[in-house]
Amino acid sequence: MKPLRWRSRVDAGEQPVQETDGGASHPGVSERWRPSGAAVAALLVGLLVTAALAVTSLVLYHHNERRLLNLRVREVGLVLSGASASVQTPLASAAALADATGGDPARFKAFLAPLVGTGRQFASVSLWTPGASRPLAVVGAAPSPAARAAVARSAGAPGSLEILNMLGAKHPSLGFEYRQAGPGRRYVVYSENPLPANRRSRLESNSAFADLGYVLYLGRSRHARDLLLTSERTLPVHGPTASEVVPFGAGAFTLVVTPREPLGGGFFHALPWITAAFGVLLALAAAAMTDRLTRRRRRAEGLAARLDELAAENRRRYIEQRSIAHTLQQALLPATLPQLAGLRVRAQYVPAQSGGDIGGDWYDVVAVGRRQALLVIGDVSGHGVDAATTMALIRHATLAYIAQDHRPGVVLGKLSRFVTGITRDYFATVLCALVDIDGHTLTLASAGHLPPLLLDGERGDYVKLTAEPPIGFPHGESFREATVSVPPGATLVAFTDGLVERRGEILDEGLERLREMACREHLDDDLLARLASELTSDDHRDDTALVSIQWQS
Amino acid sequence: MAELDDDSDAPILSVQAGSDGAGQPLIRIAGDLDISSVDALREAVGAATAAAPEHITFDLSELRFMDSAGISVLLGAARDVPGVTLLKPTPPVKRVIELTGLTDVLEVRS
Repeated sequence: MKPLRWRSRVDAGEQPVQETDGGASHPGVSERWRPSGAAVAALLVGLLVTAALAVTSLVLYHHNERRLLNLRVREVGLVLSGASASVQTPLASAAALADATGGDPARFKAFLAPLVGTGRQFASVSLWTPGASRPLAVVGAAPSPAARAAVARSAGAPGSLEILNMLGAKHPSLGFEYRQAGPGRRYVVYSENPLPANRRSRLESNSAFADLGYVLYLGRSRHARDLLLTSERTLPVHGPTASEVVPFGAGAFTLVVTPREPLGGGFFHALPWITAAFGVLLALAAAAMTDRLTRRRRRAEGLAARLDELAAENRRRYIEQRSIAHTLQQALLPATLPQLAGLRVRAQYVPAQSGGDIGGDWYDVVAVGRRQALLVIGDVSGHGVDAATTMALIRHATLAYIAQDHRPGVVLGKLSRFVTGITRDYFATVLCALVDIDGHTLTLASAGHLPPLLLDGERGDYVKLTAEPPIGFPHGESFREATVSVPPGATLVAFTDGLVERRGEILDEGLERLREMACREHLDDDLLARLASELTSDDHRDDTALVSIQWQS
Repeated sequence: MAELDDDSDAPILSVQAGSDGAGQPLIRIAGDLDISSVDALREAVGAATAAAPEHITFDLSELRFMDSAGISVLLGAARDVPGVTLLKPTPPVKRVIELTGLTDVLEVRS
């Protein structure tokens, strides 16, 4: 039996199942590449998540920068505010000296000379008495003409450093005024520093504040007219700023700073973009992976569907083949059985369940004269067309020998010689029984075949018969015969080994099972069919033939 | 498709070819011998008889089941080789040998 032949059929008749790996298109059909819906969804989700992360990161970055900028402006403000002491202290000391020396210009000049001049703290320092039109003493450059009016106008609180607004002057400058507090204190010290024409003054690059741009206004306003100094080319400043009003002496500056570079470091500045770039890459990779998996799944589903189709096709062909085998088998078995008066002959053939091959079992019942019949039942080893051909040959040879001689032993002897001469590959077990209707006797010979069962009412016994070797093995002239007498109404059941053989048990157990069931059952037309369906297992590999002969009196 | 796949529940048959004390072939068969597994034995017997031995022994002490397919291979060996001995058949196998009349042509030794 070769049930797996379907594979070769698939190769011969069907389109190959294999598809080119990696190519999504079917062979011969060019199809535009379109991403799968799942891949697009994965990409969108990936991009959304990326955008959310990048935006979050950006917001956090800006928040952090803002916080740092606020800290920095306060820091710069503190430094600037601290610088008021470095202006006030020399001016106050000079004023005290003037008071103590009665406004001695020489002492005044000697005291301040180290602090005044190009590259020093002050460009010009002068000593005044309130209301005077000229200074008592001048160190460094002459005070600007506007200074006089400014000093006279000034109503600053005594004992504090006053900032004088000299920004509107022809040569704008920053002036500081200090007047002594207390009775009898009559001197005013005025210092002046010219401002650059465009008010631009860059911080030194090694300064602790080099990462900041600044704008410094005089007073508390941020008007352009109050601009004192700036590091910026253009105003107002673009980008984030933080401002602080810095008290300075009795007055104040307004400080505005802007970051020149990320205050938290370059990495945090780049983080949103790094996040975005990585996120986009990951989203693309996820989409590509999803697309690939989707395609694979589709291909697998396609293959599974194709395999289902093939399986259905194979099943159909298998059933068809079985049907053909069955038809052929029926053609090799007798179409009709002789019905002699007083004798009821029935037969049943069950093909092997597994596989669609033809079996080698056969039977014949031949009338010999009017009151005798010859039963032949046999089993050629093996399956398939060769076994069936051998079976047909043996069957027809048997019929021919029966025509010459109806003694079972002689028929088997001739058959054995014939078969031994023509085939080396097959053996056959054959039971041959001559039925005498009126004499109620059976004469039997067996070539390796199982003995038949004789049923008499509720009794059943196997006919005692010594089997000789199967047909196909060299044998002497004729086979031994046994003759038994048959009670009226008894039934003979002959069968092939498929009915009783089961793996894992002794043959006698199968024979006993058959005997018990046959004794129990009613001897009607369906007995053989019932025996066959009950006793052959669901997946029996061997075919089975049964013949019953019932004496009706 | 399970019904197509006869190999899945194929009996486990082991066939070992060797030689007996006299240098004649000895084939040890174990497991289940039926139509679906008989080819392994047929091949082993074919190889053993190719050298035209005087005698061949089959050790059946571990053969649990044999049907007519197995019988035909043993008979084939008996036809080609002058002496065939079946050694220690188990009860199920021994019964098949008896019922198919092989005791006349094959020597059975327990």
